[in-house]
Amino acid sequence: MPLTPTVDPRGQRFIAAITSVVLAVVLLVPSPAREIVLAFQVAVFATGAFGALSASPYAQLFARLVRPRIGPPAEREDARPPRFAQVVGFTFAAIALLGFVSGLTTLGLVATGFALAAALLNATTGFCLGCELYLLIQRLTHRDAVPQKGSTP
Amino acid sequence: MTGVIALLVTVFVTGAVAVVMRWKNGRFSRGGVETNADATSEVLGADDIGGVLGERATLVQFSSAFCAPCRATRRILTETADIVPGVVTHEIDAESHLDLVRRLDVLRTPTVFVLDASGAIVSRASGAPTRDQVIAALDRAIPEFS
Repeated sequence: MPLTPTVDPRGQRFIAAITSVVLAVVLLVPSPAREIVLAFQVAVFATGAFGALSASPYAQLFARLVRPRIGPPAEREDARPPRFAQVVGFTFAAIALLGFVSGLTTLGLVATGFALAAALLNATTGFCLGCELYLLIQRLTHRDAVPQKGSTP
Repeated sequence: MTGVIALLVTVFVTGAVAVVMRWKNGRFSRGGVETNADATSEVLGADDIGGVLGERATLVQFSSAFCAPCRATRRILTETADIVPGVVTHEIDAESHLDLVRRLDVLRTPTVFVLDASGAIVSRASGAPTRDQVIAALDRAIPEFS
């Protein structure tokens, strides 16, 4: 079995929970606090999506505050779905921020809502959006019946 | 105010999705050997699944790389196949068998198919099933289940 990077699943749930709270705050506070908080969350998503998963401030919070108190996880999970979740979160949050800043408030609210729904589902049920989409994306992007190893999607 | 409404709508929709997912995951379709008398079920052979059929039933799991619940499902199916005589289990990597994935309309992983002794698909479930759900599905696929 190839060695793919793994993460602590409890850390991911913790991160999703904090993300949910932050996005809920975005929906509840008025401008300009709303845009500031959202910009912060966009940056957090960006570190997880394009940098190191562990570099995200929420991951740091988990590593320093929670993890020492609860010990190592029983099992670790593949790091790619959580990273995909950060990419999805970044995309929706960035669209939302652009919406708010350019006066398209409805777009901002809807996009924030989608990001919040995904984070909330992950935090409460462990629902893995990337996992659900992965096969569908494979089916759509691979025309041949059996893709050759090493072919680009 | 609109922000509060957006929040409430989001929480409501999230709750609805969570309830639906919980209901759907691991729920096997109600087909069984008695109701599957017609010839319209798909039949899978040893070539399709990459291994021999079980004497009484076969459990086929479609998995993929991005699939957290697949590991737990594999464990449950393997343990069940160990306990129940005449039942074997096979795992298929969905990505490298897209032809079969499309033929059987597999949309997510894990998807588990229960085949009867002749390889006909008797029932299926997507999402990780519990052991009880697997046993109940096997019960319907095997004429005299003990």
